[in-house]
Amino acid sequence: MSNIAGKAYAMNVVTPIRWYFVWLNKLIFWLAIKIPGVLTGLITLSLIHYARWVIVSRNDFPHLSPEQPREELKYSYMFFFSNFNGSWDQYVDSFTFSIPGGLDLFWKWNIRYPNSVPLMPFHNYIRYNQVDTNHYYNATPLAASNDVKAAAAIMDSLQSFDKAVANLSPEEFQKQYFAVLRKHQNDLGDMQPTPIVSLAAHEVEMRRKRELAQHAHEHDHEGELHG
Amino acid sequence: MADKSGNAFALTCFCPIKSGHEGEIAFADLIRYKLIDWGLDEDSPMAKVPNTYLCRYYVLDDVYSQSLPGTDFYDRWYAFWSIFSDDVRRKALPYEDHLKSKYLVFSANLHGDLDHWLRGMWRHAQGPLRDIWQYCYGFEMVNDEGSFVQYMRKCHRSADLFFDGSNDLPLQQQLRSLYLKQEFGKFVLESQGLPPAQLQQAWQAFAKRVDLHNPDGPAWRPGQTTLD
Amino acid sequence: MTAVLDLFDIQGEVTRAYARFGFFYSRYLLLQIKDGARGRDFICAMAAQVTTAATWDGGPQSAPRPDSTLNISFTYAGLKALGIPRASLAGFPADFVMGMRARREILGDDGPSHPDHWDPVWKQPVHVLVSINALSTEAREQRYQAVLGMLANSEDGVVLLEGHRGPGGALLPYQDGHVVFENGQPTSKEHFGYTDGIGEPIFEGLPDMAERVWGRGKQVYDSDGNVNWLPLETGEFLLGHYDEAHEYPPAPMPNLLSRNGTYTVYRKLHENVGSFNKYLEEQGAKYPGGKELLAAKFVGRWRDNGAPLTDAPDAAAKQAWDQKYAAASPQEQDRMLAGVVFDDDQSGAKCPFSAHIRRINPRAALEFGTKNAFDTPGALANRRRILRRGLPYGESKPGQFSDDGEHGIVIMMLGASIERQFEFVQQQWINYGNDFRAGNDKEILLGNHGGPHGACPSRAVLPVDPNSQDAPFFLCNIPRLVTTRGGDYFFTPSMTALRMIAEGTVDPT
Repeated sequence: MSNIAGKAYAMNVVTPIRWYFVWLNKLIFWLAIKIPGVLTGLITLSLIHYARWVIVSRNDFPHLSPEQPREELKYSYMFFFSNFNGSWDQYVDSFTFSIPGGLDLFWKWNIRYPNSVPLMPFHNYIRYNQVDTNHYYNATPLAASNDVKAAAAIMDSLQSFDKAVANLSPEEFQKQYFAVLRKHQNDLGDMQPTPIVSLAAHEVEMRRKRELAQHAHEHDHEGELHG
Repeated sequence: MADKSGNAFALTCFCPIKSGHEGEIAFADLIRYKLIDWGLDEDSPMAKVPNTYLCRYYVLDDVYSQSLPGTDFYDRWYAFWSIFSDDVRRKALPYEDHLKSKYLVFSANLHGDLDHWLRGMWRHAQGPLRDIWQYCYGFEMVNDEGSFVQYMRKCHRSADLFFDGSNDLPLQQQLRSLYLKQEFGKFVLESQGLPPAQLQQAWQAFAKRVDLHNPDGPAWRPGQTTLD
Repeated sequence: MTAVLDLFDIQGEVTRAYARFGFFYSRYLLLQIKDGARGRDFICAMAAQVTTAATWDGGPQSAPRPDSTLNISFTYAGLKALGIPRASLAGFPADFVMGMRARREILGDDGPSHPDHWDPVWKQPVHVLVSINALSTEAREQRYQAVLGMLANSEDGVVLLEGHRGPGGALLPYQDGHVVFENGQPTSKEHFGYTDGIGEPIFEGLPDMAERVWGRGKQVYDSDGNVNWLPLETGEFLLGHYDEAHEYPPAPMPNLLSRNGTYTVYRKLHENVGSFNKYLEEQGAKYPGGKELLAAKFVGRWRDNGAPLTDAPDAAAKQAWDQKYAAASPQEQDRMLAGVVFDDDQSGAKCPFSAHIRRINPRAALEFGTKNAFDTPGALANRRRILRRGLPYGESKPGQFSDDGEHGIVIMMLGASIERQFEFVQQQWINYGNDFRAGNDKEILLGNHGGPHGACPSRAVLPVDPNSQDAPFFLCNIPRLVTTRGGDYFFTPSMTALRMIAEGTVDPT
C-alpha cells in the first residue's frame, strides 16, 4: 500500500447513505459550489490539491458483463477522495478545528456519522471507513499545493516583467525588479523533499525502493546473459 | 455533473473484478499485489501518461461501515422506542450490506479532455494496464485506444462535488513553473545587493538560461523526487 | 464553568516555570532502575519529597514555599521496570513508547544533532528524570544530597547515570542549569541574548490564569471584532480533563494512572553562539535595518527587552514602545510583552513568517487575513501549544566567536500529546514551512539547517511592506544555530499515580 506520494497523502473514505437521502446530499454539494463562501475555509487551509465526493446509487454500480452478478445493495455509497499535504494523523486536528461545519454538512446524511467534534469518534469513523491505496502517483512530489499555486503566479509575473523591462535604464529596472520581489516575497520558499511524516510509511518506501532497484539490477544482468 | 473545474477533470472509475483465481490467489488480490509492485514516482507507469496530476488505484473488497452511535437522523426516534421493545433496538442498527463483486477503483486528476487523456493513457501504459485490467469484467472488449475509452466510460461515475485546490495549467506548464520558481529563488539570493547595472545583466542572463518565454523550456520531470 | 484543579495532586513543574518564582538554579538527574521492588521503595521515598502545584500564597490550596523543588518523570522503559501492568503500558501512545532517539527522523535530529553525538549519558537505558530547582546553589546541593541519600538506601536498586557533558567536557552525574546573569543580575535571557519564556500557554484552572491570559491563551474576537484571549482547555496539558476537542485526551488506564499527569519532552540544546554571532555580524552588515533589527527578525522580539516586532517593527517604533513600557504598570507591561497578534502583519513585514514566535505559536496568523475562514481564529494553533520549562546551562561570553564550550538550554516541553504538540511543531513548523506558505524554509533559530549529506543550504525571507519601495531581504546559508545534545520522552504522573506506582498498586482491571 502507499497512501503517500511525496508531499501528498491519498485518502479514500467509503460511507453508506440511505438511498432516499442521496438527492439531499447532492443538493448540498451543488449549493456548496454555487454559494460563495462555503468552501472559504478549505481554500484558506490550502492543504488540498484536489478532493472529490462521488455518490454511487445502490443500483448504479457498473455492470459490464452478463456473467457479472447484479449488486443488491440496501444503501447507496459516498466515495470520498482527497489529495492533501502532510499525513492524516498530523492534520486531522487541523481539518476538524478549521472546518467542522463543512465536514458535518457533507457527511451528515451518512449512516451513523458521529459529527466532527469531539474528534476521536470522527477520527475513528473516518479511519475505519478508509480504504488504503494500492498505487498512488503524484506528478509533483516535491511541491505542496501552496507551491504549485505560487509557481504559476511567479511564472506569469516573470514573463510579463521581462517584457516590460526590456528597454529600461538600470535604475528603473531595479525599481521594477524590487516590485516583483515584493509581490512574490512570500512565494519563494525553497522546495525540497518532504520531511518524513510517518516512520512506518518511510520504512515501507525504503524497502520498496531497495526491492525495485534490485529487481532492475537483476533484469539488467539477465539482459547481459541473454544479450 | 461536477467532474470539471476549469480544465481540471476528476475521473472516477469503478471496474468490477471477475470472481476467479490464478493458482491460489484470487484475481482481486492479484491486482492488489501487482499494483503494489509497480514502480514509484518517476518509475510509475502513470508518469508516462501526459497531463496526469495525480492518480490512484485501490481494490474495494466490500462495502462496510463502522457503526458508531452518532447523530443519525432516526437515532432519537429509535432510542425512545427501544425502551419498550428489543426488536426496535435491533432495527436501529444499520443493515449489513455486501457487494457481490470486488471493484478496482481508479481515480485521476487530469488536465483537458477526458477522451483525449484516456487515449494517451492507453498509448503510453497499455502493457501495465492490461496486466491489471485483464481480471476485470468486460475488459476483453478492449483492444485499442477507442475501445479502452469506451470501457472506461462505462466504468466512470460522475463526481458530485469536485474541490479544485490547484490551478488550471497543463501539467507540463505546472512542471515548468515549478522549475522557474525554484530557479528564480536561487537567482534572488545570488543577485541580492548587486548594483542596478549588474543586476540587470544578471537578470538577462537568467532569463536566457531558463529560456523564460519558451513554454517548452526546462521543467521538472513528472514524478521527480530529487533536485540536482 | 471554570475547572478547579486539584493542585495537591499535580506536580509543581506542570503549573510553574520555577525561574519566574526566583528558582534560578536547576539540576537534572537521570536514573536507571535495576530492581523493580527496590525501585518502587525508592520512588516511595521520593514521592514524599515531590513538590506539588500547591500555591505559596496562603490560599485554600496552599503550602509553604520550599527553598528547592523536586519533580519526577518516567520513560516507558522506566514504567515497565517499575512493574506497571502490561495492560496499562499498552495504553501509552507509540511516540512515548518509542522515545526520542527512535523518533529522530521525525524530529530532524540529523547531522550534528544525531544521537551518535549526544552526551554519553543517553547511550544507556534511561528510566527516570529527576528535576531539582532551587533558590540558591546551596539549596540545590542540599536537595541533591538528599536524593543521593535515597539512592544509597535503594542498595543499587536504582542507580544514578553518569555522562552529562559539563564545563570543559567533564562527564558529570548530573546536568546543571541556571539563569543567565548580566552584571550579577539574573535575567530571563538565553545565550544568544534573547529574552525567553514570555509566551507561556495559559490554561483553565491555573491559579494565576486571569492576570496572565492576555496574549498567552487562545486568540478570539469579541462581538465588536476586538482581539481577546481565553484560557486553553486544561486537557491540552493535563490528562483526564476536557481538551480543545471537548473530550478526554487518549490516555492509559486506569484513569487514576493518567489523570492529572502529562508528558514531558526533555531536550538538551547546545547553542552555537560562535556561529550565531558570526552570522549576525556578516548578515547584519548587509541588512538595511542593521544588526539589532536583524537579530529581532530571527525571533520576532527585540533582544534587549523582548519588545515584539508586531508592535515595535523598527528602531523608531521601538523607541516609542520603550517609553510607553517604562511608564506602564506591571500588568500593562506584561500585556505589552505577551499580547502579540499578527492580524496587522499579513505580509510578515514586521514579524517574518520564519521568525521563532510566529512559527512556535502562529495565533490567528494561519487564517492569512481571511477573517472567519475557520471555525475559530486559532483553529490551527490551539492544538499545538506547549508548556515550556527548563533553564539555560553553561557559560558563554558576549561576542564569543567559537561554538566550543558547553552552553545552551535544557528545555522541557509539556503537553497531553507528544506527537500532536511537540513533534508536530518541531517537524511541520520548525523544520518545514508549508503551513506558513514558505515551502521547506525552516524556522531561523531552531531549524535543522545545513542537514547531512550536503543538503541544500537554508534560507529565509524577511518581507517588507508591499506598499513600500524596498526590497525584501533574503537570508541565505543559515548555519545550524542549535544542535540537540540529548533527550527523551517522559511521563510525569500525578501525585496519586506516583504513590500508586511506588506501592505497586496500578491496576487497570
